[in-house]
Amino acid sequence: MKNSSLKNRYFAPFFGLVLLLAVWQFISGFYNPVIVPSPAETWRSFFSLAVGGLLWEQGRQTMARGFAGFGLAVLAGTPLGFLIGLNQTAAGLFQPLVVVLQVIPLISWLLLAMIWIGFARVPLFVVFVTTLPLIIINTIQGIKSVDLQLLQMADVFRVGKLRIIREVYFPQVIPYLFAGLAAALGTTWRAVAMAELLSVNQGVGAGMAIARSNLETATLFAWTFFLIILGLLTDRLLSCLSRQKTNQWK
Amino acid sequence: MISLDHIGFNHVYKSFGQTRVLNDFSFSVPTGKIICLIGPSGCGKTTILNLLAGLEQPDTGSISGTADLRISCVFQEPRLLPWKTVSENISFVLQDLTLSRRQDLIEMYLKAMGLYEYRNSYPKVLSGGMKQRLALCRAFAFPHDLLLLDEPFKSLDAPLRMELVQQVAGMWKENPRTIVFVTHDILDALLLGHFVLILSAKPTTTLDTLEINLPLGERDIAEEPFPAYYSHILALLGGRAISTAH
Repeated sequence: MKNSSLKNRYFAPFFGLVLLLAVWQFISGFYNPVIVPSPAETWRSFFSLAVGGLLWEQGRQTMARGFAGFGLAVLAGTPLGFLIGLNQTAAGLFQPLVVVLQVIPLISWLLLAMIWIGFARVPLFVVFVTTLPLIIINTIQGIKSVDLQLLQMADVFRVGKLRIIREVYFPQVIPYLFAGLAAALGTTWRAVAMAELLSVNQGVGAGMAIARSNLETATLFAWTFFLIILGLLTDRLLSCLSRQKTNQWK
Repeated sequence: MISLDHIGFNHVYKSFGQTRVLNDFSFSVPTGKIICLIGPSGCGKTTILNLLAGLEQPDTGSISGTADLRISCVFQEPRLLPWKTVSENISFVLQDLTLSRRQDLIEMYLKAMGLYEYRNSYPKVLSGGMKQRLALCRAFAFPHDLLLLDEPFKSLDAPLRMELVQQVAGMWKENPRTIVFVTHDILDALLLGHFVLILSAKPTTTLDTLEINLPLGERDIAEEPFPAYYSHILALLGGRAISTAH
């Protein structure tokens, strides 16, 4: 039983990856490398970007923009989510706005940001506005799922409102908040690359724009892999943090 | 301490939707005593506690003697915060006290309930009975004038039930304050109550009130007047209350 679960945990994903690479290699055999580069060509491009320092140089800028926009969204979205979740008036006032933010297409934000704030700050702004509703909505969901019996208990023992928020609501909202952060991080790397592609000449998105202009499809694939790795690493980091927060008492 | 010497319900009516739970419900008992409310399941006993705790308001009628009282409570479920340790769960309701006073109270009640060695553990490691004992510690430690016990031993086995009944009696003797104890077990009521209010099925009215003057901890259930009380209560409830614990 234990062996079988170990197999599922480690070997199944490994064989899945091998299968994917095999299918990719197979397909690339039918096309020109400009259309579908092989895994080996992609790896060579990735290696050359890494050795040349471009991967780090451009990646650093992308990460800085992504984390800045994401961080601002967390700072603004968490208290706003609490406010909307706890206060009916705030819910009436802000919830429609959150829904509107959620449905506005990324490309609209991109074009509007170019007009409103100039090209340099577009990636940060776009990450902020696209991740903000995810964080707010997950925080609200966490608040709605709080155990009412615990709130009643705190009420009977006359525990102050702020302590109830900090010590009863917050620990129960954390898993929802982390789910929101995970979704927001996924969006962050997509949004920042898209924004960089259209608005600036530095960063992974800008690197992708140059690769596309030069028909360097293998480099385009390499940049894409960089974003995938970044997304996976940050997602893993977040999962570890989430487990660390709740493992002790769960 | 509160100067009012009685708590009571005065012609209270309470409905939830179309269901009338309390129908001209009245009683008055002296403070500083243990009042047991016994009645069939679902008769509205928890509603009476919620009204006393101020969590519900009566439709008509009034509740006297509870204004400005500091109320403590043990619910049917332990209602512990799973992300706080045993000590922190008690400390959570004691924030108005100084740190040293808090620590003294926590230590005293955890030792009394045999939970002191678990003070730094999380509730997940405690059994159902231990969790309920922790809820009792929390309720006793909280500075209160009125303690509400809502069938706190409902899901516990017989020996543990008996032990906790004795512990509640012991804690009351140490510090006699008003306790309203809801149960559907006749023997729990006879062992703990200075007053036993026998309630009817919904809509709830008081069928009878027994006053038991024998001291707590010295009551022998096999001796009169307890068998007579038992039969009387059982007859009034039409055999609907249960006594499984002893």
